Amino acid sequence: MRLGATTPEAANLAHVEDVTRALREASYIADRGLATAVFLALKAERPLLLEGPAGVGKTEVAKALARTLGRRLIRLQSYEGLDAGHALYEWDYARQLLHARLHTLVEDDSSGPGSTIENAERALYSERFLLERPLLAAVRAGSGAVLLIDELDRADHEFEAFLLEFLADFAVTIPELETIRAESPPLVVITSNRTRELHDALKRRCLFHWIDYPSAEREQAIIELRVPGIAPALAAGVAQAVGRLRSIGLVKPPGAAEAVDWARALALLGADVVSSEAAHDSLGWVVKSVEDLRTVRAQLDAILDD
Amino acid sequence: MTEPFAQLTAFARELRDAGVPSGAAELQDFVTATRLLGPADVYWAGRMTLLTNADQIPLYDAAFARYWTDAVSDDRPAPPPPPVDRDEPGAEGMRSARGNERGREALEPSALELLRHKSFGEIDDAELQMIAERLRALIEELPARRTLRSRPGGHGELDLRRTAARALRHGGDSHELIRRRPRVRPRPLVLLLDVSGSMTPYARALMILGHAAARAGRRCETFCFATRLTRTTGALRERDATDAIARAAEEVFDWDGGTRIGESLKAFLDLHGHAGMARGAVVVICSDGLEVGDPALLGAEMARLQRLASRVIWLNPLKAQANYEPLAQGMAAALPYTDTFSSGHSLAALEALMVP
Repeated sequence: MRLGATTPEAANLAHVEDVTRALREASYIADRGLATAVFLALKAERPLLLEGPAGVGKTEVAKALARTLGRRLIRLQSYEGLDAGHALYEWDYARQLLHARLHTLVEDDSSGPGSTIENAERALYSERFLLERPLLAAVRAGSGAVLLIDELDRADHEFEAFLLEFLADFAVTIPELETIRAESPPLVVITSNRTRELHDALKRRCLFHWIDYPSAEREQAIIELRVPGIAPALAAGVAQAVGRLRSIGLVKPPGAAEAVDWARALALLGADVVSSEAAHDSLGWVVKSVEDLRTVRAQLDAILDD
Repeated sequence: MTEPFAQLTAFARELRDAGVPSGAAELQDFVTATRLLGPADVYWAGRMTLLTNADQIPLYDAAFARYWTDAVSDDRPAPPPPPVDRDEPGAEGMRSARGNERGREALEPSALELLRHKSFGEIDDAELQMIAERLRALIEELPARRTLRSRPGGHGELDLRRTAARALRHGGDSHELIRRRPRVRPRPLVLLLDVSGSMTPYARALMILGHAAARAGRRCETFCFATRLTRTTGALRERDATDAIARAAEEVFDWDGGTRIGESLKAFLDLHGHAGMARGAVVVICSDGLEVGDPALLGAEMARLQRLASRVIWLNPLKAQANYEPLAQGMAAALPYTDTFSSGHSLAALEALMVP
């Protein structure tokens, strides 16, 4: 599945700027690189692989896309040991058993002709006993869905290989039932925190985009969007301070979510600017480890200095 | 208006020379993406279609600046520092591995016994091959942990799926309850190898260990460091142990100067370890502990590492000397956070470590 001249399904997103605007309407502020990546993913119907540090809003992109495109968000959270059964479909064994038991009782009772063993078996492996998992749901929804495969680096290599195959033809074969193929593929967003290097073949199938921490201006815009009514000076101060917090080598550098939380906390405390006192009281909202708190408290004045 | 095809091709070639390979399919994607986006976004078009890795972004930026300074999209990150010169002296240690002949006949038991106690500082490549074979046999012994997956048998919880499948064959009557027990999986192995100065031969032997582990199907990551950290895990994909060493040698730029263990460890934890690579892993650091940087930083980073890892092993070949004491400031700072402190300088030393 290479980049082709396929028709854009989202016809109203004719330019990269339209993507930026659409994401903004869904309360997501994307920079040029990310908007470009999304634009290409939609136009060329290619999965989008987002890598970057924790807390830069990789998962949020998929949610915002689902909102703004009016599509259903289907999420597959990855974990070690995730296998095809958990990702595709499973049979509802308990109900199948129950059904089989009831069926024998009824058979014994009536013992009439007509209902054959094949029919009984077919009934057991029919839609009503099928438990749909995210990948099957995504194939059925097709372009009506945004499929988010979250933190793929947590899954095993085997699952990655399986996923590669799945992304190649967007089809699910259920031996007892049928093969289901997506008419037009869903928009696929894969995220990775890079705890493990994903396989090159998978990366080549995807458009690769690295999301870094937002610039101070973008961070301020994010804060103002998420904390309505916040004083611009406070939002700017938080953005600047958070930027510095990320540069002093903390164990857990704050992400965009922490910046928003902190700004909200400061606003609730009635602060107009990030004063040393207010920051001291609310530091737990942005710095989330004891060692880091110690480091930050020691240099707080330098961090808040203009 | 599209960028001429020839220009895009030439840029891809420039990028290839800079160390970011791409094939015909990627080039085609690049051309299509540029057509879809327009020439103003050629930077992003290339970055998304030609790269597979965030580590490649600095190389890409440099190549892009060299080739296309006038077509820059204005939302682009600042240009990166100039690329490092690869042909540094001192790379001979790991590099020479490829040149030598391989496949000497199997050593006599007595010879293996001799080899077992020979310091890694003195062995040749054929002996290294022998050691690789021996290590591979040992590798299964490292500590394991439970996973979510299970396999049938034992006295664990009920396996509803298998029980139901079996029962359906008997008209829905459960004649037999099938249970499952958790599958056990070896812990991931992370090797952090000091390649400064006299440490190179030991790093080489431990790359062999890493290679053996990876070949045995274990999750294994290797990093080399002197003043800065380089990830060399890719080299473990080589089929042959000596090829793996040669490839790692090509990837590591930084062979000279002193050792900044604290900073390298911090780089590892920031970029990989904290995000999950070190979590629950067996982390082996091989270094003489002669830290040029701040020992306090090394101590702090070791504390961090110990919280993440299942087990922290520090191998210091100097410990093999009878009168060695960990007096070097760096070593002293790291020791409180080390679960096992050992020499690891010979096969026998590694064996003792793996099979306590």
